[in-house]
Amino acid sequence: MKKIFFIAFVVFFIFMFYSAYEIRDFGNPPSQMDDRIIGKYNSTTGEWEYGAVNETGANNAVTSVVFDYRGYDTLGEATVLFTAIAGVMMLFRRVKNE
Amino acid sequence: MIEISLFEIALILMSVFMIASAIIAVWFKDLLASVITLAVMSLILSLYFYVLQAPDVAIAEAGVGAALTTAILIITVRATERMEED
Amino acid sequence: MNEERMSVIVQTIASILFPIILIFSFYIIMHGHLTPGGGFQGGAVGASAVALLIVAFGARYVENKMREENLSAFESVGGLVFVIVSILGIFVATTFLTNFLVGEPLFGIIPKWGVSPLNSGGVLPILNIAVGMKVIGGLASVVLMLAIASKEGEK
Repeated sequence: MKKIFFIAFVVFFIFMFYSAYEIRDFGNPPSQMDDRIIGKYNSTTGEWEYGAVNETGANNAVTSVVFDYRGYDTLGEATVLFTAIAGVMMLFRRVKNE
Repeated sequence: MIEISLFEIALILMSVFMIASAIIAVWFKDLLASVITLAVMSLILSLYFYVLQAPDVAIAEAGVGAALTTAILIITVRATERMEED
Repeated sequence: MNEERMSVIVQTIASILFPIILIFSFYIIMHGHLTPGGGFQGGAVGASAVALLIVAFGARYVENKMREENLSAFESVGGLVFVIVSILGIFVATTFLTNFLVGEPLFGIIPKWGVSPLNSGGVLPILNIAVGMKVIGGLASVVLMLAIASKEGEK
């Protein structure tokens, strides 16, 4: 059994080493979607023409995706957190009242 | 001679340290030291996220993984046994 | 009661660091629409400040100072604000979770190139504050309840 774990460890180690070595540089290949998401800046009028900054008014495109375009996901995440905390409360409330 | 950049050296070093701390966390018999080693692994993972240009995930990992999980596990270790039985 | 506290040095450092970490967490939450971070990240940092206080002063002291019911109520208020702001999008504008504050005087400025003002982002700062309240209250009350329950189990 230990030999299997050792072989799995070596394979995983080589995989992580190789994937860290073969990783692409940032911005390579250039993304076609950056202008779609963040928007296009008009330098003559000084305003954003379309995109996330124009639609939501937030400078951080990640937050405008998380809270605006995919707001349902954040609501579901809040529901998961609420359910987990309600479970912990239900588990430990009785110990406190005794 | 393969050419290797500083970025890849940083990534490889962080991968090696992460795997080493995870294995040490399994190998220790003292559970408190094991929890601290998990916190070290979480901190290096947060650094990894920061180097890969995801600062949102890095802040969340440093807050939840390195602080809150460690606190909850240390509370649990203090309430139960500290040494692992063979 | 007294033996669950740590030494005077740890208590002093914790009471100095607690407001600083809390202010940093509020900074991350309030600047969620400008810089990396947001409600969840800032809430996790704030809950780690409460965990530091529990480690330094013991669970009973923290429970006497900030009641666990107050933390749960704080969390519920955060969730309620999130849902109310989301439903207001139906009545004020068209659909659920509409960003109806863009262009209004409150939080309505669309930023130019470069550094954008804090008064921007529509409903995103309000939702960030709601999620931050929810995460601070929830995670802090979980750590507090676990610490109290482990103390009860030792006796």
